[in-house]
Amino acid sequence: MSKDSELRESRLVFYRNDLGKIDRVLQEFVRLSGSSSVLLVDKEGHMITRAGKVPSFDQDTISALVAGSFSATREMAHLLGEQEFSALYHQGERDNIQLSLVGDRTILTVIFDDSTTLGMVRLYVTETVRKLEDLFTDILKSQKDGTNPDIEELSDMSESAKDTLDALFDGN
Amino acid sequence: MVQINFARKEINCKIVYYGPGLSGKTTSLEVVHQRTPQGHKGELTSISTDGDRTLFFDFMPLDLGTIAGMKVKFHLYTVPGQVYYNSTRKLVLLGADGIIFVADSTPGRMDDNQQSMDNLRENLTEMGRDLNKIPLVIQYNKRDLPNPIAVAELEGKLNPNKVPTFETSARTGEGVFQALKAISALVLEDINSSDKKGSMGVAARKPAAAPAAGAPAAAPARPVAQNVPAAAARSSVGVMPQKEPGSVLRPSGRPAMAPAASGTAVAARDPAPVAARQRTREPVAVAEAPSRPAAPARQTMSQSRNALHHQMRQVQQQRVRREEPADAAPAHAPVQQKSSGGGVKMAFFMVLGILAGAAAAVAAVKFLFKF
Repeated sequence: MSKDSELRESRLVFYRNDLGKIDRVLQEFVRLSGSSSVLLVDKEGHMITRAGKVPSFDQDTISALVAGSFSATREMAHLLGEQEFSALYHQGERDNIQLSLVGDRTILTVIFDDSTTLGMVRLYVTETVRKLEDLFTDILKSQKDGTNPDIEELSDMSESAKDTLDALFDGN
Repeated sequence: MVQINFARKEINCKIVYYGPGLSGKTTSLEVVHQRTPQGHKGELTSISTDGDRTLFFDFMPLDLGTIAGMKVKFHLYTVPGQVYYNSTRKLVLLGADGIIFVADSTPGRMDDNQQSMDNLRENLTEMGRDLNKIPLVIQYNKRDLPNPIAVAELEGKLNPNKVPTFETSARTGEGVFQALKAISALVLEDINSSDKKGSMGVAARKPAAAPAAGAPAAAPARPVAQNVPAAAARSSVGVMPQKEPGSVLRPSGRPAMAPAASGTAVAARDPAPVAARQRTREPVAVAEAPSRPAAPARQTMSQSRNALHHQMRQVQQQRVRREEPADAAPAHAPVQQKSSGGGVKMAFFMVLGILAGAAAAVAAVKFLFKF
């Protein structure tokens, strides 16, 4: 398998301490920008973590739609000769969403209302994206060189998986 | 790709329903949504046309429950099956951890099934992935129709690797859950069989789109019960290339994004406290980094704006200098005018005085000559 394929296929793993650092950055962002809530989503549409008010909407669905939205605009970017649009903005009557690419595999999703301004949000998004990218670099480095003290391994799921799947799917 | 979140105790996977148009992908997902117990499912979201044909995807989150201490969540997607939506299909397929291929058993649709399976293989190859290494099950759907295509024929043309297959009827829901259960088991097996430590490729830059050089051309036979993808394929660690100065957010050469520009504008307008304004300097500096093509343009605009302000200021100063004597004149003129007017009056009064004196002298002389 080529190196490119390996990069594409590498899974995302977040350990406890890593996510604590990410959460702190997001909480600071919410405080400074006056946003309602912020979600960090991977490009496959899975939410990684969130900060701010607990949203009333389904977080899984919004994460999937955010990833889909980003994917669709990437195709538009290709048509224009761009590699990718690194930011998107959706404006509503009351709530708005600002999406910004973090690194290459995650999307910062900011939901805010008229208690703050788009300019204010973008201002702090730029700073937060930079912080998160630096953080990801450090995390990746600590995972690669084995200095991350929180590295865990998945337990064998085969035994309990069977029971769980039977309970959920059988009888339907 | 699988996301393993030890902090939230979650494993997130992506399952995609693939197949030709009108084969029953959306209907299968609707069945899953209807029959999944509350608490295990989220909303079913469809991005479809007015005619209920899938335009982008259908989506449904499925919570499998807690397995080995981790909450396992599947995101179920369908692709648009119509041939001309291939670019959209690729977007949905990206990062899939498992695939359910929904074949149409309607007589006369064998070619469509085969084309769709070929299309799936091609799209995965384009993404650098190998269909033979991805968990896959096949639904032979619409088995409730009269005279469906024989299973042996479908099996021969669509399933050379002998992956698990299920005769289903999405309309009645028969077999749909069994297929989903099978793909769930394969995906979980795949997660466990891959490198347990995984990797964190968050900060890795986007690799160029190229087919996997090392992908085997010929598909090795895969026993149904032993669908174990190569562990090495997923255990790689994302590489973070060196950052280029001034291009923190994107590869060099890409124009600066709009938010940075607005950030600049906000920094100028916003009555934020001093501390907040100081923070604006850094992002603005990033946005105007020299390596970005748009930055020089913005700098030029900024420079020209400054130059304009400077010129305007000079013109104003010159005008003030020119106007200074004119402004001074009115201040002194009344004095000059007052002095010249006073002289005339004095002369006038002097003449009057002289005339009056002369008249008085004449009157006095006349009075003396009378006596």
